[in-house]
Amino acid sequence: MKFMQWTVLAAALTCLPFAALAQGKPAHKDALLYFVWPQNGAVIKGGFWCRFGLRNMGVTHAGDNYANSGHHHLLVDVNEPLNPKEPIPQDKSHLHFGAGQTEARIELPPGKHTLQLVLGDAEHYPFNPPVVSQKITITVR
Amino acid sequence: MAEIRKFKSGRAGEPSSEPTPRRLAAIVAGDISGYSRLMQIDEEGTHTRVKRIERDLIEPSIVEHHGKLVKTTGDGFIAIFDSPVEAVRCSIVIQQNVVGRNASLPKHHWIEYRIGVNLGDVIIETDDVYGDGVNIATRLEGIARPGEVYISGGIYEQIKHKLVCGYESLGDRKVKNITDPVRVYRVLPDPSALHQNRKRRERILALLLGLALLIIAGGTLWQMLWQPRKSANQASAPVSSPVEAPKVPAPALTSPPPLPKPAPTIAPIQQQAAPQPEPSPASKQAAPLPPSASPVTPAGQPTTQAAASIREPEIVSLRGGSFAMGSNEDASEKPVRQVTVKPFAMGKFPVSVQEWNACAAAKACGFTATGKDDAPITNISWNDAKQYVAWLAETTRKPYRLPSEAEWEYAARGGTQTRYWWGDQFQAGMVNCRNCSDIPASDQPVKVGSLKPNPFGLFDMGGGVDQWVEDCWHKTYQGGPADGSAWVENECPSRVIRSGSWRKDSGYARASSRGSYDTNVRYPTHGFRIALSP
Repeated sequence: MKFMQWTVLAAALTCLPFAALAQGKPAHKDALLYFVWPQNGAVIKGGFWCRFGLRNMGVTHAGDNYANSGHHHLLVDVNEPLNPKEPIPQDKSHLHFGAGQTEARIELPPGKHTLQLVLGDAEHYPFNPPVVSQKITITVR
Repeated sequence: MAEIRKFKSGRAGEPSSEPTPRRLAAIVAGDISGYSRLMQIDEEGTHTRVKRIERDLIEPSIVEHHGKLVKTTGDGFIAIFDSPVEAVRCSIVIQQNVVGRNASLPKHHWIEYRIGVNLGDVIIETDDVYGDGVNIATRLEGIARPGEVYISGGIYEQIKHKLVCGYESLGDRKVKNITDPVRVYRVLPDPSALHQNRKRRERILALLLGLALLIIAGGTLWQMLWQPRKSANQASAPVSSPVEAPKVPAPALTSPPPLPKPAPTIAPIQQQAAPQPEPSPASKQAAPLPPSASPVTPAGQPTTQAAASIREPEIVSLRGGSFAMGSNEDASEKPVRQVTVKPFAMGKFPVSVQEWNACAAAKACGFTATGKDDAPITNISWNDAKQYVAWLAETTRKPYRLPSEAEWEYAARGGTQTRYWWGDQFQAGMVNCRNCSDIPASDQPVKVGSLKPNPFGLFDMGGGVDQWVEDCWHKTYQGGPADGSAWVENECPSRVIRSGSWRKDSGYARASSRGSYDTNVRYPTHGFRIALSP
């Protein structure tokens, strides 16, 4: 799983020079998006506070076009690959934190769920290369 | 109520106790037109509605008119009456009340009865009635148009001078399996319908005559009074007549028309929501006088305000009413509860780029949008939407606002209780959403109003653009208001969006689907529509 993520990221990085046509803003080369909590494999009872971590870039309000900053999106049980040419979707499985939130109260039905963070730019497009977290799996009791 | 019960106990027992194998009776046969179609659309709903009509309307009406319900079939009923007058009266009452009940529903959900009345010698048993008198009544009902009452010649002879209705002769009709042709009359509940034109003509004539007389009288008077002086102003003679006019013709006119009076005798009816007896039942069908909240008034046709010359968004006036809000499909849509919405008007379309840019041009809205004029405005935060309605309300001096969530769902349902306004099953091409129509996905949603409107005449209530409403986001409806008002607190970080969008799946285009988004954040699929308080 983790390996896959890194390969995808690596592949994306190699494409960097050719990505001039893509929509997203350039990401910081050392940007790292991750879950402070929960950890991969966590077993949780009921609702929980999900905390988002970001290194080497800043969190701003959606719409604010500062260099090297963006806002969080939490993807719940999303399997389709992200289309870098389109804004990150907004629906029940793509949660937006455009007010600059770095944590959120999440309630999920019991069972296994995947969570992944994606950083979006002012216009909700993924960065280039995409700044995404590891996709973690949690179990809700 | 006590009276009805008395009738019931009094009448119901009587016929069964006396063993009368044959008797003369007025037979009323009614059935629902298009029953199988209705059952196909909504089996359970139709069944419940039919049962309710039978229980609340047909049975009590029959009892009230001293009749007896012989039997009900799946979609119809047969009743017998001692009096032909009562039989026809009862039929009219039923027809008029059914109209009232349908008023709150879209046309294809209407339950319409066809009723035939015949006078015949029949064999009566406890739970059925036999004889060709019954068959003829059923045949009459078969040829009657939905919402109408057809009577036989026998009934007509009995009631023509007793029941003040219009009767239109349809001539002798050959009906199936009956040897002799039957003379058929169509009952027009409003007698004036038939004679209205003639009456009006008579009245106008009387008025003209009165006026002519007056002018002559005035002229003569003038001559008599003024001739001695030999005034030069003879030309102004007729001018004096209009002054006197009101006095003389008034009594002259009141005598001819005691005509409108008979109307009330047709039926001392509980005309609940039933509209005024219309000229003829036929025209009732032609003019779908739809739902209790209906697109009767596309009130705000692009009006140009004299003051500011603003093109106001088109609106549709809705009568409001009670409906079951929510669904059991998603936790956020529970619990389903009955909510009553007051009359209001709703934007016919989502606000367009052109409409938005008028606000931007007035420096009252945050940004000028690019894109086609008739595309819905997008990338709107709730704050943006509020700015627009505030500006619109101020410049037009009308109470424009965002709709409440309850109003939005009420309007989206268009009088239906199904997942989508056209039914429970998704149909391609009805909404602009992701993976669900032939419309190719694109950056821009299709222009406003390019798909079919819902039964209230509103476009894009589902799919298209997500639409902001006034309400703060609450995870469920637990504790929400039931009066149709917006559910708000002082500061709420996120508000409700409705409708789904061209980038969301069909499930989001359901009438009850709801989502939330940060109040002050823009997103490329978010737009809004306006509402207007009466």
